[in-house]
Amino acid sequence: MSAHAWTRLAAAAACALAVGGCEGVQSALAPQGPEAERVALLFWALTIGSAAILAGVVALATIALVGHAPARRRLDNETIIIAGGIVFPVITLTAVLAWSEIVMGANATRGDDNVVRIGVVGERWWWRVIYRDAEGRRIESANELRIPVGRAVEIELTSADVIHSFWVPKLAGKLDMIPGRRNILRLKADTPGVMRGQCAEYCGGPHALMSFHVVAMAEPEFARWLAREAAGAETPGDPVTQQGHLLFMTSGCGGCHAVRGTTAVGTIGPDLTHVGGRMSLAAATLPNDEAAFARWIRDGQHIKPENLMPPFGIFNESELAALSRYMTSLK
Amino acid sequence: MRWSPKLKRRAVWIMTTVLVLALGAFLFAASGLYSVAASRGHFAITALLLEFAMRRSVATHSLLVTEPDLRDPDLIRLGAGHFHGGCAPCHGAPGEPRNSIARGMLPEPPDLAASVPTWSTSELFWIVKNGLKYTGMPAWPAQKRDDEVWAVIAFIRQLPGMGEAAYRTLALGNAEPVQRDARELVQIGSRADAISTCARCHDDEDAAPTSRFTPALAEQSARFLAEALRAYANGSRPSGIMQPIAARLRADDIDAVAAYYAGFPRRPGQPAPPELMDQVARGRTIATSGVPRGGIPPCLACHSAAAAAAFPRLAGQPAGYVGQQLRLFRDGVRTGTAQADIMAVIAKRLDDAQIADVALYFAHLAPDTPSAAQHDATTGEASR
Repeated sequence: MSAHAWTRLAAAAACALAVGGCEGVQSALAPQGPEAERVALLFWALTIGSAAILAGVVALATIALVGHAPARRRLDNETIIIAGGIVFPVITLTAVLAWSEIVMGANATRGDDNVVRIGVVGERWWWRVIYRDAEGRRIESANELRIPVGRAVEIELTSADVIHSFWVPKLAGKLDMIPGRRNILRLKADTPGVMRGQCAEYCGGPHALMSFHVVAMAEPEFARWLAREAAGAETPGDPVTQQGHLLFMTSGCGGCHAVRGTTAVGTIGPDLTHVGGRMSLAAATLPNDEAAFARWIRDGQHIKPENLMPPFGIFNESELAALSRYMTSLK
Repeated sequence: MRWSPKLKRRAVWIMTTVLVLALGAFLFAASGLYSVAASRGHFAITALLLEFAMRRSVATHSLLVTEPDLRDPDLIRLGAGHFHGGCAPCHGAPGEPRNSIARGMLPEPPDLAASVPTWSTSELFWIVKNGLKYTGMPAWPAQKRDDEVWAVIAFIRQLPGMGEAAYRTLALGNAEPVQRDARELVQIGSRADAISTCARCHDDEDAAPTSRFTPALAEQSARFLAEALRAYANGSRPSGIMQPIAARLRADDIDAVAAYYAGFPRRPGQPAPPELMDQVARGRTIATSGVPRGGIPPCLACHSAAAAAAFPRLAGQPAGYVGQQLRLFRDGVRTGTAQADIMAVIAKRLDDAQIADVALYFAHLAPDTPSAAQHDATTGEASR
């Protein structure tokens, strides 16, 4: 093998690894719950089955074209045509249809009373996530879904504006979020871990940047997290964070965003009460750190063109740093 | 086609004549014998021809201009304020004859009281907006601000027959008339009512702005005022009225003026008359709670006394000014500053009725209540 060929092989291997890496968080082929497992089962059964049938057809066609005369003669009769061309497809397709109906129709979580109900509202271009605590109080969050492992989760999907589609390939198939309609998606995670979801219906400009993370956590851990999420934001401690807090409260941020426990009670944009504790910013567009906050506040339109937040160029460098520090402190 | 010898001879003759004339014209220009002196004037025939061409050009180019209602006294006062600084130096004004320097121009800037009636309103608009080639009449400095040009037209339409007293009332506004002793005259000069006298149009400690299209500056933060003046001066906030004024201010003048206006309380707006209460109430809802479904945040999140110094305070601000600025934001005219980039996004989500409602609400909002109003906003939202 030449050096050039080796390089190509190495590059191909790197690509395969990279694709394999993607499979980890956002692939229907690596299911992490019963709903997605059924999708994967159906996919593999149909892919392998149709590949086998294709191989058989190709083999028969090869014999018919270039096989020995006796073999070709054996193919030359009507019974083969009727059996292989009509009876076999009718039986196979009927069976596959019935089986897929059974597989997809069955719901592993149906009849499960102990469900966790979470509302997800599709917005341009982010996800409003609404939990309820034991007393039914509303706990709002955004762009990240946390669910307990092993419990049935019922997600109520609605839209605030246009049609979006909720898709977490590792957990379930996609389901549209349609204005004026309430769609229910039931799913369950079998093991803890981080998964990624994506809006699967074109919804305008930055549709491709409308993603989110799903974190499946052990039940007690989820309960602790939810209790913390329900609480208001902590009062900032150090002077820089305090300055950031003051800037947030006086620069109009609260007109659109809420930080529970403060005077910021806006409902137009994502609830930021615990934004610092999330895995990403701007609907899984940016990492969650101070530098990303600073970029987003000032240059959001370059990061996510057409997003609905106005650019805030009014802050100088130190103000922007303080504001970003405050945002990341909201754990 | 074959040319007959006669045709050929004629063609050669014509071409030779044209070439000789062109060469002659070039040599005449190159010799410098033609006088460009403004002192000599044009031949009568040249003047007639130029006048004819200008009148025809203006008439044709102004065909598609649509005239707004120009009878609004506030629009006339706004135009008068600009006229005094921007137009009167060349064209003169009632009681102020054209100065002899300007009269030395060719053509001489006309006395507008006499010449305005010879033009239609849309022709006047076209001239003030675009200026006139070869005459010294400049184009409007901010080409997107048709609204400002119309204010000037509203005023100059009133010029014919206007007396000196009426003019000074309109043009000097809140500025005090000149009362200077000999030493002041020697040291400062006589023009107390110079171009950059803010109080001719804006408020001061004793008076409100002269027009509802002019913003009240009292109690704005010094940072906001200074940034606004710098943005006017460098053209990033387009205004043919404010740009020449701000550009003449030195850096420390800007800071001094900003600090002055930041230092005294704004005069309270008039309480709303009963017939406007519904509209004011609708405006109050937008200002205190926003329109969440429309992506419109509450105005008072940024425009109250409790908000950051980067933002203007709108309580008591005249409705004409607030409405006009919102339309400028919405229509993409007012862009280019950090504040405008924020406001333009939000203004595009407002319709005409919402703009009118919210402008009216602020005009009748007492300046000492914004923090209370913001408190309403927060509690109103929380109990939602």
